[in-house]
Amino acid sequence: MSGMPIRLRLALAFTLALAAVLAAVGAFVYLRLGDSLSEQLDDSLEARATALSALVRNGGQLPSEQEEGFARLVGRSGSTLLTPGEVTRGRAGSFFLARRGARLLVTPIERNGRRLVLVVGTSLDDREEALEALLAQLAIVGPLALLLSAAAGYLLAAAALRPVEAMRRQAAAISSERLDRRLTLPGARDELRRLGETLNAMLGRLETGLARERRFVADASHELRTPLALLRTELELALRRPRPPAELEAALRSAAEEVERLTRLAEDLLVLARADDEGRLPLRCAQLSSDELLEHVARRFAARAAEEGRKLEVAADGTELVADRLRLEQALGNLVDNAMRHGAGTVGLEARGSNGCVELRVSDEGVGFPPGFLPRAFDRFSRTDEARSGGGAGLGLALVETVARAHGGTAQARNGEHGAVVSLTLPVDAE
Amino acid sequence: MRLLVVEDELKMASLLRRGLVEEGHAVDLARTGDDALWMARAVEYDAVLLDLMLPGIDGVEVCRRLREAGVWSPVLMLTARDAVEDRVAGLDAGADDYLPKPFSFAELLARLRALVRRGAGERPIVLEVDGLRLDPATHRVWRRDAEVELSAKEFALLEAFMRRPGQVLSRLQLLEHAWDYAYENRSNIVDVYVGYLREKLGRDSIETVRGVGYRLST
Repeated sequence: MSGMPIRLRLALAFTLALAAVLAAVGAFVYLRLGDSLSEQLDDSLEARATALSALVRNGGQLPSEQEEGFARLVGRSGSTLLTPGEVTRGRAGSFFLARRGARLLVTPIERNGRRLVLVVGTSLDDREEALEALLAQLAIVGPLALLLSAAAGYLLAAAALRPVEAMRRQAAAISSERLDRRLTLPGARDELRRLGETLNAMLGRLETGLARERRFVADASHELRTPLALLRTELELALRRPRPPAELEAALRSAAEEVERLTRLAEDLLVLARADDEGRLPLRCAQLSSDELLEHVARRFAARAAEEGRKLEVAADGTELVADRLRLEQALGNLVDNAMRHGAGTVGLEARGSNGCVELRVSDEGVGFPPGFLPRAFDRFSRTDEARSGGGAGLGLALVETVARAHGGTAQARNGEHGAVVSLTLPVDAE
Repeated sequence: MRLLVVEDELKMASLLRRGLVEEGHAVDLARTGDDALWMARAVEYDAVLLDLMLPGIDGVEVCRRLREAGVWSPVLMLTARDAVEDRVAGLDAGADDYLPKPFSFAELLARLRALVRRGAGERPIVLEVDGLRLDPATHRVWRRDAEVELSAKEFALLEAFMRRPGQVLSRLQLLEHAWDYAYENRSNIVDVYVGYLREKLGRDSIETVRGVGYRLST
């Protein structure tokens, strides 16, 4: 059944239902006809009995044989027609009975002081014939009607489903290359139109999703190619002619820097891609204290800060939190790196706990974010024009926000009194 | 050669300059599209190396504006974007070549040499002759600001005329530029299509030069 096309199933169900209805109607008509034929018979028997009773009471003779049937007078002893018991019953009052293919009416009657019964009867043959004829007609007309309506049902179902098939064919032609196409909607405001609208809305969502994905891949490959291009050109230039060791060393240092940049980029991309795959970044949470966390991050940048003559200040209140240490260090590391790269002056790392939340904040004393950049600060691959030339990929802040969200918290970027301020606000217990 | 390198990634820019200077070229650097525009207008560079992604106006736009301003220095686009659409957009904006990053420095030099060999003559993106405009990239034609619908063949024939303004072209020359070997010299197909063009562009748009051929009226 389930393998059958819907139009066949519909036609079949329709036909079965119609067959049941036709059978019920046929049976009803048949029974009603039988009943009304019986009533007619009884009426005519009663009329004859009344007429014959009057005739007999007036001393007349019963006609021996009548066209409509027969009539007899039966005494107490009964006859071939009636048992004595039936005669007794008949003397008390009239009743009908059927016998040998005939219907009989037994009525009491008195003749010359004797109490007899008058039996009038008529054959049931006519009634049977009429019923049989009806049955024969039903047997022919019924299946014929059934056949016609089954065919009509099939055609109707096929016609109703034709727009569905048209829609299916259109949908089959929509590939990931041509996701801008939409199904043409039927004109009538019916179920099919609603289905079409729903499918079109789904296609719209798929298209946006795919476009976002493609943009991400394009941006990511652009970001990966830039350090690769630098690496390749640097090494190729170094090898083009013999060079003094100092020049070679400089080239190698620059190449190492690009490898470092590639590594960081690959790590950020991996985290972001993993957060995409599973909807949320999987965390490995452990108990840690905020001052220890910030000190650790600051230590990583201590050498670079000293080299660049910058100061790192840690101010933490030691709030205990349950969080993924590695991810938080990665996010804070990105922020400190940004502050070192694009900011100026002292880089501050602060942690403050209040009512079940902890705020981790990195600030610097530079010029801050360009105002136009703030609304899209956390978008992937979005960066200031200045950061673009400096080799930033625009993933650092996106990663910070992903990590904050994974912990059930938020990330904010703003311009403070002295420069850029980026903070993560996390619940104390991320689990 | 005097070269202009337009690149906003500082490290890439200085690397390119170092490599090109070592090859004996004179190299100027521009960090933004705006800088590139005024520098290229001020000096006749032998070639411009143009990055596609720039702060402010991007490489494609820089290229288009350079051509509009009548700067015909060969432009070599360098970019980490290598999608077909990006390359098409760059070349159609008037760039002469396109090299995706990461590239080999040796190839970059070879391409620069090839570009300079071709020369810096006028290579307009949109052909313009006396009120007629034809854009080969979008396949559109305008006659005094009104767009004219042409079939592919009519378009090819008109392009053959517009690339040689004022020149008399014989039937054979026209046949060679717009038709392939399947058409014989005997057929009058060129006359038929010249008739179509006259119908759409005006009676006197193409002159008949008796005994020689046709010429685009100027």
